[in-house]
Amino acid sequence: MVPSRCVLLLPVILSESAANMSVVVTNDLCRDYGIRRGIRDVSLSVERGEIFGFLGPNGAGKSTTIRILTGLLRAGSGSARIFDRDCWTDGASIRREIGYVPGDVRLYPWLTTQRALKLLSQVRGRDVLQSGLEFAERFRLEPALLVRQMSRGNRQKLALVLALAHNPLLLVLDEPTSGLDPLMQDTLMLCLRELAAEGHTVLFSSHTLSEVEALCDHVAVIRDGRIVEDATLASLRQQAPRQIVITVAERRTLAGLPWPDGVRVVYQPGAVAGSGETAALQVPAILRDRSCVLELHGSSAAFLSWAAAQHFEDVSISAPSLEALFRNYYQESKAL
Amino acid sequence: MPGLLSKIWMEVRWAVLWFSLGLAAVMALLTALLPRVLGDIHHTFERLPMVRPLITALLGVDPGDRISAELSQAFLWVHPTVLTLIWAHETMYCTRTPAGEIDRGTADFLFCLPVSRWSLYLSETIGWIVSGSVMLLVGFTGHWISSVVFPSDMRLSLSSALMVLSNLSDVYLAVGGFAFLVSSISDRRGRAMGLVFAVLLASFLLNFLAQFTDWARAAAPYLSVMEYYRPAIIIQSGEFPVRDVLSLTGLAAVLWTTGGVVFHRRSICTV
Repeated sequence: MVPSRCVLLLPVILSESAANMSVVVTNDLCRDYGIRRGIRDVSLSVERGEIFGFLGPNGAGKSTTIRILTGLLRAGSGSARIFDRDCWTDGASIRREIGYVPGDVRLYPWLTTQRALKLLSQVRGRDVLQSGLEFAERFRLEPALLVRQMSRGNRQKLALVLALAHNPLLLVLDEPTSGLDPLMQDTLMLCLRELAAEGHTVLFSSHTLSEVEALCDHVAVIRDGRIVEDATLASLRQQAPRQIVITVAERRTLAGLPWPDGVRVVYQPGAVAGSGETAALQVPAILRDRSCVLELHGSSAAFLSWAAAQHFEDVSISAPSLEALFRNYYQESKAL
Repeated sequence: MPGLLSKIWMEVRWAVLWFSLGLAAVMALLTALLPRVLGDIHHTFERLPMVRPLITALLGVDPGDRISAELSQAFLWVHPTVLTLIWAHETMYCTRTPAGEIDRGTADFLFCLPVSRWSLYLSETIGWIVSGSVMLLVGFTGHWISSVVFPSDMRLSLSSALMVLSNLSDVYLAVGGFAFLVSSISDRRGRAMGLVFAVLLASFLLNFLAQFTDWARAAAPYLSVMEYYRPAIIIQSGEFPVRDVLSLTGLAAVLWTTGGVVFHRRSICTV
């Protein structure tokens, strides 16, 4: 016989295990579009209360993964589960608990914020008008403005309001900042941090590296349909290189210089066309023929003592940047 | 469901109103004019022999040298303008979801609402049946008012009129079921509408060709929806067309269910 104390404790144990379980889990998820590339063996795990950044260049497979999670697409193979429920067969019940902003927001032209919130209230079976109007106020969205009269940014704001209004346990955002001005981007970041602090989960897809760096706890990078990195932001920061720009005096060449350990030359004058061209953009145009861009992995102290002996005209060292790390993930795809 | 129905109402109300008023006006006009025009049709038959097979194709029976008063009423219900209005409305309506939603990019919003695909499909179906009923009833009212305003000895009995209306409603169901199926497998609304219209046109032409060729006559029962819509025979015999109604209802049920299953199982791909 089960002791009565155990019976009393059981709901507590169950709710704790539910609280600790992963909110989103995908295992070896695959999806093909015939001749077009889809995704291959995508395995992700998003924990409760986490802001999960899903990064990748255009066409890498972010939206495909998200569309499988929201039940729009059927996976070719593998599994996708949210709240331990299958995303395809239990899509309707999952969508009750999630808010979703698609990558390309299109809404009915006859909708206004108010009408859309009333419609959502009817569909969801609970009143979301008041909370939705509060979000609309935060995003400075006119409640009576018709979608057909809205700018792209306002339509994006409305999509965000509709995704946030019912206080979802999981928020799935596919490039949500596109079209938003910097102030509204800040408002969105603030909203997402508040949600995460309350224990809600955010899955945030983007190809803007800085916003992911500023917001997320955990990041997965997808490239050519495969996950190439899945780590916490803290551990990625340890791998992140510093970017160094060295400028030398005129008539001095950098070719043949013996670089110290941990240094990778990203760009130098006269180099063959390649990925270094984008790094060169960080150097003022008038200095480009006598500057080079390096990445430094590890301590900067050894590099500084080496650089002091080289008599460079100028050396600038940035703080460890995830952007450089992410760019590496992106650019390696060109080599494939 | 109420939320989805109110969304449908917001989107289709004006189209339903205009199509219904248009159908009422056309039916009222035809009711008033057809007896006069068809009264002298034998002159036209003498001058233009091709007209007779065309009318035979439309009515489903050979009108003979003179079109009787009853048959002239039947002509009202198969008039190309009437059928075009009804089919245009339902082709537009039934291709809204999912083809129309995918085409205009609103599929992500609609299909990510916390409702099943079957609920979406059912709510669209309710809207389709309600709007079709409204349209047919308003059209019938136009005909009825006109037949009262323009007194004639050719007025159709209410029972005959309701039987024809019932047969027409079944055609409406069958065509709509087909349009739902085409929409379910399509990502482009224009393409879906084009295909439905092409099949309807082919069905209409086959019915016409059946007057002249054996192969068309043999194929018509399988490929022409008009083969199961014969107001002239209903009016002449005064009997309810059980076989035709059952055939059309069965066809509509199969097409509609297949459309629903396809929609339920398909991926929504907008990229």
